[in-house]
Amino acid sequence: MTGFPETLAEAVELLRGLPRRREGVRAARESVAAWRAVRPGSRAQLVVDVRPGSPVVDYDLILDHPDGGAVALTAPAEDGVPWTVEHSTHWAASKVLAVDGQELSVQTALLTLRALAGRDRTVHDDLIDHCVLTLASWEEPDPSPEELQRASDDFRRRRGLHSRADMLRWLEEVGLTSAAYDNHLYSLARMRGFRTRTEAESAEAYFEEHAAEFDRVSAVWAVGPEPPLAELAGHDDPFAAIAGAVARPVGEIVVHVADRVAAEVPAPLREAGEGDAVGPVPYRDGFLFGAVRRRRLASPDPDTLAAAGRAAFSAFLADRRAKAKVEWYWL
Amino acid sequence: MILVLSRKDDLAVNLVLPELAKRGVEALWWDPGDYPAESRIISRLVDGAWRHTLVTGGAEYDCSVFSAVWNRRPSRPRAADVVEDATHRGYVEKLARIYLNGWEDTFDTRWFPARSIDVIRTQNKLLNLTAAARLGFTVPETTVTNDPETLVEAWTEAEGRLIAKEVEFVEFGIDGAGHNFYTTPVSRRHLTSRHRLAHAPAILQPYVDKAVELRITVVGDRVFTAELHSQGSRATRHDYRHYEGNFSQYAVHDLPEDVERRCVDLVGSLGLAFGCIDVILTPEGEYVYLEVNPNGQWGWIEEFTDLPISEAIADWLVAGEVPA
Repeated sequence: MTGFPETLAEAVELLRGLPRRREGVRAARESVAAWRAVRPGSRAQLVVDVRPGSPVVDYDLILDHPDGGAVALTAPAEDGVPWTVEHSTHWAASKVLAVDGQELSVQTALLTLRALAGRDRTVHDDLIDHCVLTLASWEEPDPSPEELQRASDDFRRRRGLHSRADMLRWLEEVGLTSAAYDNHLYSLARMRGFRTRTEAESAEAYFEEHAAEFDRVSAVWAVGPEPPLAELAGHDDPFAAIAGAVARPVGEIVVHVADRVAAEVPAPLREAGEGDAVGPVPYRDGFLFGAVRRRRLASPDPDTLAAAGRAAFSAFLADRRAKAKVEWYWL
Repeated sequence: MILVLSRKDDLAVNLVLPELAKRGVEALWWDPGDYPAESRIISRLVDGAWRHTLVTGGAEYDCSVFSAVWNRRPSRPRAADVVEDATHRGYVEKLARIYLNGWEDTFDTRWFPARSIDVIRTQNKLLNLTAAARLGFTVPETTVTNDPETLVEAWTEAEGRLIAKEVEFVEFGIDGAGHNFYTTPVSRRHLTSRHRLAHAPAILQPYVDKAVELRITVVGDRVFTAELHSQGSRATRHDYRHYEGNFSQYAVHDLPEDVERRCVDLVGSLGLAFGCIDVILTPEGEYVYLEVNPNGQWGWIEEFTDLPISEAIADWLVAGEVPA
């Protein structure tokens, strides 16, 4: 039978030989499990200390002492790595990515995710857009007090921060001083200013180039799983079928009624003619069935120009994203 | 005319060049990293003094025309691409460094902040910590060591509130990726690998509580003090080099007269015309000296505080110009 001193000596040797990189943790756990199978009385458990911002991991091994109580071992070997190197962090440990040299910290990224979360976009696009807009809005004039107030109101409304107490609690939660919050708002307001200006300046030209996208389309459509939509599509009158589904549900579907520019209705309906039915066709993570009730030729009224401005801005962002040099540090 | 020694992507130079132009003074921006690959220097000993001629960008400059040299962030000398053998490149670049040290030493003009060899000498924390202490600054009780047992002793003496710093920033990597050793609070986990300290020294100091951190930029006898509210963010609490614009708050700080005078004296006593001094203002109101960087960055301070540092640098550089 093996005595405790021998068990200890074996445990130390085991620890000294474990791989010290994150990708080696699984192998380290397997080594310890195999050793514990041979020394079940030790009830050995490996504790893995994963350091933030470093590929290096630390290990402790917890054993039972034969007289009761526990023994915790750590045994860093001599591998010639200097102490300051061993305890260093990756140069980009606090950063998520850089776009054309504009770096994004983890802290700003977390705020940005909440600010920009949209349905048709990936988180990655949102983060790249944040960097693009930071660069693009650098020359924007200082936001006015009214613009800052509007940015603050929007920011707080989106997060349900209606009272001063809510606001202070939130600042504490995310580790921001009120001055840092003001700085963040300043950036948001400047980006918004850039966006408003770009939309206003490019709306008319964009409308002229892409007039067909701004036909006024009055449409109804339902989104959901394919079987109930296929049932609706079997009717002669798609409008009556969708209206009927609202009165007598055929399953879980979401019905939309809208009067918008073509560019802002779902893609399968954008080019459909008056009276045409479309679907069911794959759409987002389900299917779509719908029909166009009325289609009027585009005219540059204020609503349409506003939509053209939004489309122009989206095109601007897509263009900048495509051309930018993007470096993801941790993907 | 002013000679600016710095690499071509140095944003700080772009802040000062317009100020020189406003003062009607020409500048030549030359990167010693172009030597010897793309530039030539002719040094002639005439009547016991050296006459240097710099040939770069198709023009020839008698170095006596430069009334001041701004020794900013020059690249290391570089061999021409056609020199392919690695040992030959090493030979060329080492010779170039040795020669340029002599060129600087015998280039008799006003140097800002100083010649390279003096910049390297004075940014050594051992040297500038003693200089600061002699001038009456409060400095942390500092241990610099590669003795493993001293690490545990220092941690015990500091009652577990010990920080470690590098003796100086030096590049290194782990698994091929660049890493940094920032100012790090020493934990019990750090002590368990004490044997590693034997391989390279580190600076150990008791943790100094911060109300705000101060970045004091001295230009000649002018002092610009910015306070950085690093304690509001978890990212910058221990080392403000983790700063990010939106999450760090800056303000102009009104330094007490005696501390301000001591800052000017410190930079002057080190033979420098410029220095960025890092100081902690404790919650009790004490100013604790950390270090001076003779060629520290200041553009971000100017951007966030509007302190006119680039104007002051331009004023210093043109002070030796003879009016036309």
